Amino acid sequence: MSETKPLYSKRPEWSDVVPVEQYEIVNPVAPIFYSEQYKDATNYFRAITKMGEKSPRVLELTESIIRQNPAHYTAWQYRYETLCATNASLADELKLMDEIAIKHLKTYQVWHHRRLLLTTLRKPKPELEFIKKVLHEDTKNYHTWSYRQWLLAHFGADGASINKDGEEEYDLADLWEGELDFVDSMLNQDVRNNSAWHHRFFVVWGCGIREGEQDRERVFKRELIYVKQNISLAPNNPSAWNYLRGILKSTKTPLSSVSTFVLPYTRPRDPTASRDIVDLENPPPSEGADLPSVQAVEFLADILEEKGSESDINQAVELWKSLATELDTIRRKYWEHRIRDAHLKLKASK
Amino acid sequence: MALTSTTSPQGSSSKEIPSTDTLLADLHVQYIQNLGKSTSDLTYHLTAHLRLNAIYWGYTALRIMGRGDALDRDEMIDFVMRCWDDAEGGFAAHPGHDAHLLSTLSAIQILIMQDALDRIDVERVVKFILSLQAPSGVFMGDKWGEEDTRFLYCAVSALSLLSSLHLLDQERTVQYLIDCKNYDGGFGSVIGAESHAARVFVCVGALAILGRMDVVDEETLGWWLAERQLPNGGLNGRPEKLEDVCYSFWVLSAMAILKKVGWIDEKKLVAFILSAQDPEGGGIADRPGDMPDVFHTLFGVAGEWILCF
Repeated sequence: MSETKPLYSKRPEWSDVVPVEQYEIVNPVAPIFYSEQYKDATNYFRAITKMGEKSPRVLELTESIIRQNPAHYTAWQYRYETLCATNASLADELKLMDEIAIKHLKTYQVWHHRRLLLTTLRKPKPELEFIKKVLHEDTKNYHTWSYRQWLLAHFGADGASINKDGEEEYDLADLWEGELDFVDSMLNQDVRNNSAWHHRFFVVWGCGIREGEQDRERVFKRELIYVKQNISLAPNNPSAWNYLRGILKSTKTPLSSVSTFVLPYTRPRDPTASRDIVDLENPPPSEGADLPSVQAVEFLADILEEKGSESDINQAVELWKSLATELDTIRRKYWEHRIRDAHLKLKASK
Repeated sequence: MALTSTTSPQGSSSKEIPSTDTLLADLHVQYIQNLGKSTSDLTYHLTAHLRLNAIYWGYTALRIMGRGDALDRDEMIDFVMRCWDDAEGGFAAHPGHDAHLLSTLSAIQILIMQDALDRIDVERVVKFILSLQAPSGVFMGDKWGEEDTRFLYCAVSALSLLSSLHLLDQERTVQYLIDCKNYDGGFGSVIGAESHAARVFVCVGALAILGRMDVVDEETLGWWLAERQLPNGGLNGRPEKLEDVCYSFWVLSAMAILKKVGWIDEKKLVAFILSAQDPEGGGIADRPGDMPDVFHTLFGVAGEWILCF
């Protein structure tokens, strides 16, 4: 580790390099308190970039800087150029990056570097396992999720597995095979993980249609059952309701097609309702759910507005009023806007 | 201005700590003035790659508070010009670093606010910006090749400030943004990525500058943005995430473009922003009780400003 190593200014193998100090706006009058180690490494880095040297010792130097400051993008960039120029093993680099990525999940540069490595290495499947492991550390990490989406889009498109010489480098179907199970495991861990819901949409609706998924009618039904089941487990989960809206919109299905399902979620619990009958199409709210669900009330009001008769609109207005005054008072002004807007539309249609 | 001493705990204990019911503008001005002075601090060096951006954040916050004179003009312009990367034709975040789109936008913004745009070779800067557009329409931050909608916004905003939008392939640029639109009405950082309030700002901002708001589903997006407000008044960036003062800017500015700021509870948001102020040393943090920084100070002050107008 770099912490235990001597300063570059004390190492004989660096004695040929004249370090370059950082320019400062104000000359610090006070003694320097910041890390001697960081200052020393970056002084040598500035010298190296000036000389344009690309050699194994530059890899060691940039690693030391990156470990101290993973957001130093010039060090990353120069490191990548050096890896290419010295024909270093990118597979070894990726292994090294596994450890650094987990330490610095929120750093953009960590992920961009990986993209560059993967673009050349072209071995996407093990990456999916790696991402799964990393998401275990931070289940909603934006960079990690978008890296997974990039990986699937980049390597999972039709024909992407064929290289320049016309050979198949990896199994395309194999790349996608576990994706739905993966999303499912993430949602089982936390049904409110919006990143996982988004990823499900990306896999099923957003990134091409794969073998076994061509029967869109069947896929749509499967997804409807899936999202309804999840809503029944946690009726106040906006991510699942958004997914429901998303699949209806993308298949141009009217909202009213799910009114039977939505209705029980818009009312206080019905103690007489039986839970003995299993209805996959319309699973009831789970025991102990907090009802009415704000998202369900919103949804029902949208169904009524979509239907559009005067009495539908009047019912929708009542629901919006309950949102404004009781259920979702922080967005009172938004609900009042909906009421005004609906009245205007009604007036215009007369 | 005897409100506080900025660093000494002995000094502050004998003085009254001001209440955070109002914007502590004088303290924030002091806080920003002091930032450039602590160059012996490790954090100062670890953030060198954001130095020019930090100056833009600090100076913009000062301008919003009507105190643009609190930092020395000549010193600032001098620093900006030392960040010029003559090999690339753009600005780096720090003298000696490589040019980057983020810092190039900051440099242009600072120079315009200081009425000193004549210091730069506009034609070269425009060429640098345009050279970073990828075939898909998105922009790279620099030659290293990291792509995302943040850089696309930086390019569009900078070109617009330099009156050079006509040189941009606007159709390709807009197409990329269309491809980033999600089922919830929001936008992500790249095609396929989840909606995120900061990315919503950059995408909507770029579309507004390009006069292409027809691309935005304004009702759905306005609702999604309004949904970002939590019961404590603060805003988050995605569903089921924590509130953070920076979203006061990302969410609000996007709502301002959509003319829908009134859809959230403004009073509660103001109270949340104010509660994240440091009443002793000045500055605003991501949320109450955390350490302030210049990034959140700008976004708190800017959010507050949007809410007042």
